[in-house]
Amino acid sequence: MTAHDDTTHGETAGSESRPDEESDARTDGGALEPASGHAEAHDDGHDDHHGLGPTSSVKRWFVTTNHKDIGILYLVTSLGFLMMGGALALLMRAQLWSPRAPGAGPLSAFAYNQAVSVHGLIMVFWFLSPFAFGFANYVVPLQLGAKDLAFPRLNALSYWGYLASGLLLFASFFQGGTFAGGWTMYAPLNLPTFTPSVGGSAAVLALMLFVASVTVSSVNFLTTMHRMRAKGLTLRRMPLFSWTILLTVWMMLFAFAALLAALLILSADRLIGTTYFAQNGAAGAVLWTHLFWFFGHPEVYIVFFPALGVMAETFQTFTGRRIVGRKWFIAAMVLVALQSFIVWMHHMFLTSINLEIKTLFMATTIGISLPFDLMVFSLIYTMVKGRIRFKTPFLFSFGGLLLFIIGGITGVFLGAVVLDYEFRGTYWVVAHFHYVMVGGVTALIGGLYYWYPKITGRMYDEFLGKLHFGLYFVGFNLLYFPMFVAWETPRRVFDYSEGMTPWHRLATIGAVILGGSFLVMIYNLVVSAYSGEIAGDNPWKYSSTAEWAVSSPPPLENFPGVPTYGSGRLEFLGGSSDALDTTDDDGDGDGPAAAADGGETPTAGAGDAIANADAAMSESVSADAAMDEAARADAAMDEAASADAAMAESATADAVTGSAVREDVAPEPSIPADEAHEDGVHASHASIWPALIGGSFLLLFLGLSGYTGGSFPEGAMGTAYAAATGLGFLAVLGSLIGMARERFVGPAGPFGESWPFAKVSNMKTGMWIFLASDVVLFGAFIGAYVFLRFASGWVAWEPIPNNIMPGLINTYILLTSSFTVILALEAAERESRKGVVASLLATLLLGLGFLGNKAIEWEHLFHQGIWLSENVRASTFFLTTGLHGAHVIVGLLVTLYMIPRAWSGAYLGESEPIEYFGLYWHFVDIVWLFLFPLFYIL
Amino acid sequence: MSRLKLYTAIYVVLFVSATVQVLVEGADMAYNTAFAIIIALSFVKAAIVAAYYQHLRWEPRSVTYLIGIGLLAALALAIAASYSIT
Repeated sequence: MTAHDDTTHGETAGSESRPDEESDARTDGGALEPASGHAEAHDDGHDDHHGLGPTSSVKRWFVTTNHKDIGILYLVTSLGFLMMGGALALLMRAQLWSPRAPGAGPLSAFAYNQAVSVHGLIMVFWFLSPFAFGFANYVVPLQLGAKDLAFPRLNALSYWGYLASGLLLFASFFQGGTFAGGWTMYAPLNLPTFTPSVGGSAAVLALMLFVASVTVSSVNFLTTMHRMRAKGLTLRRMPLFSWTILLTVWMMLFAFAALLAALLILSADRLIGTTYFAQNGAAGAVLWTHLFWFFGHPEVYIVFFPALGVMAETFQTFTGRRIVGRKWFIAAMVLVALQSFIVWMHHMFLTSINLEIKTLFMATTIGISLPFDLMVFSLIYTMVKGRIRFKTPFLFSFGGLLLFIIGGITGVFLGAVVLDYEFRGTYWVVAHFHYVMVGGVTALIGGLYYWYPKITGRMYDEFLGKLHFGLYFVGFNLLYFPMFVAWETPRRVFDYSEGMTPWHRLATIGAVILGGSFLVMIYNLVVSAYSGEIAGDNPWKYSSTAEWAVSSPPPLENFPGVPTYGSGRLEFLGGSSDALDTTDDDGDGDGPAAAADGGETPTAGAGDAIANADAAMSESVSADAAMDEAARADAAMDEAASADAAMAESATADAVTGSAVREDVAPEPSIPADEAHEDGVHASHASIWPALIGGSFLLLFLGLSGYTGGSFPEGAMGTAYAAATGLGFLAVLGSLIGMARERFVGPAGPFGESWPFAKVSNMKTGMWIFLASDVVLFGAFIGAYVFLRFASGWVAWEPIPNNIMPGLINTYILLTSSFTVILALEAAERESRKGVVASLLATLLLGLGFLGNKAIEWEHLFHQGIWLSENVRASTFFLTTGLHGAHVIVGLLVTLYMIPRAWSGAYLGESEPIEYFGLYWHFVDIVWLFLFPLFYIL
Repeated sequence: MSRLKLYTAIYVVLFVSATVQVLVEGADMAYNTAFAIIIALSFVKAAIVAAYYQHLRWEPRSVTYLIGIGLLAALALAIAASYSIT
């Protein structure tokens, strides 16, 4: 039936094809009329169907699950946090105008410490990554040829969790002052003894909520990127920005799990009084640095890789040259992503770790700079081979590369053990990582200008863009370069020696210029959104990725048909005019929405036209040369360059005006219709539950922040915190159930390329990816236990429970419950309703038995005077088995939800939900198989 | 052997090996030997649960590698951190 029959994997909804009603209309070359009244009628129909209002309605932004809307939300929100972090930075620079005694100057000592800490936290967590993921959300599905992410509601949930966590962080300033122990939150400064404010706990909890959102997002992106690529778009051919995002989310999945463990332990220390990081503990402070930097070093690349992706895309587009050594560029990135997990101790050269491991980690650190060298030279050589057009996006990307080179070279100094002894804790470090991190920001700003016409449909003002770059680049270097010169200034301290005053004043002036340059950007982008020139589908001459082949902004479901690269270039199979309805519903014909309004479908979009021109000119665009590698491949060949460029240009112009002819798309009458447009299986695009869940978590965590040392404080505030906790908990539970009960149709297959999970459904893939991160979470908890036990003498460390029996009984109980879950799956497959209900009920009872047995055991221990704050042995026992217990409780809540549904006949013959739940439950069982010997026997 | 029988057999094996772990502890053995046996048994049990109850045996190998990478990361953290202790 279809061109991609061979890749059908038996997806559920909408997998059967149906002749496209309008396919006959396309045989004339695709001259449909999307702007006609017919299309407008569809527009309205869509709004009703998807529950999305026009982009001008406020409601739309609360309910949308569309990846492009979410991308815009991320971009705008993260820029808001940039302003907040920037304001804090300017306060710091004002304080540093002169060396001052505590209390002198605009900030008190405590206020300065808060500003330093939260500036770091906001910029690293709430600005940089979310800003990059604004682009990732918007662009990656377009580059992949997917209609949306695999789990659109979870994507919205990630955003709302991010926003909620940011609001909680903001609120923490008003809870007796926020966290003031530096963004690295080193122990024991991170304990209430030193940072006692409620706001301190709120900041830690805010970060925890942020990390939870990140994990959800990682699972979503990994499932999408591995499972939902268009036919022919193998990983080898995937555009470079998508590649960087893919590697970023892989690193995020594992790195953030370690941070989650660190933050859970820290919250336990702060809120309920465990003693992991206690000052008098054996190795608490070093434990924190291990957990934090195991996350923290991959984090450097997590924030930098998307910037690298922007560089790669813009370098290609604005030099008209495919990146030099693309394959090696990708290999180098993969290598960095792997190596990033084995260099973390170079942040710890001045802790008590031994010399052997320092030496080893120095070697791995020097090693990780090598693949970066390759990438840098590849970018430079791309410029040499191509012909550069100095548009704003390129200027920022190129500037970003220069800054990164300086940041990278100065970092090598810090990677050497002996030099680090001298540089650690000085402004050398501050200057170095700002050159790296803000160097990344520079490229991402380039990305903002690059994709701005795609997102808004209008062009920014080029002069103001260049002005922004000039101010930005001068301000940046005035701000950060003097820090290298004044490197002996101690980090995070506002007092410094008199002689360095001129350098710090220079830096402060630079900070004002850098900050001011963003006002130019905001003015430019806001004004251009309303009155900029209409950009057209593809405003860049040599752009070649798929987002430029659709209208600006792209339609709600992205493509006028099923995108495929099966023939070696991008085609849209079975296009129909309603797919062309744009998301910009308030566009009334003269707005950007109508940019593709020549009256023809741009089904053979700009990229396609480029590919055609290229094919005509060049030797071969083989199937191997995906359109990612289009026009630029030849543009730089010296003799042919001008002719080729002219060809490509005219072809592009054709595509932009919508006059490209779809001669290469086989107009078979039986091409499958866009599945989501099948009657009755419209994909959903709206849900209010993610926003409600986000709000509920905000309330819950705000309440929890008041909990200190095992209790809520006395008085009205204590009551308010307790009430917020209770209400928040109920709201979280209620809204989660609401979301589970909501009928929501996500993107359905068949998908083109799904390596390496071709035979695993989206849901199951997502579940396994989540479990992989949970492996690291528990691994980090167990690792913390092993580390502390080693540090205090392994054999001398007696297990906390003096009786092995409760543990053994619980082992039996959990094993049995695993068995009953597998029985439930069997029963569901045999369509035995009673069997399913009985098995699930047995699971529930066994789980309750497990918890009851544990409660009795703990009660006994408490009676013996063993409490979790007793010593670090007790802390590790109660917290680790407690985390496992929490997993059991979550599992039982799911069982509780499933039993009534099973009673009414769900799951019979459709056993997948039970299977997915089983994956989780068996995992919880497996964890106990390790906890039992470690905490009871050995 | 039907699947149900297989699952039941596995359940029995898991049950017994958990008991063995406790018996090993009670037996008069060198700590290190007992430690090695007990931890090895835990890994074996985990592998059995993952392979059969979580159906990893019948899934594409990529899923196993995915979990393997997570495990590797966790082990790297635990082992390198413990080794770093002066």
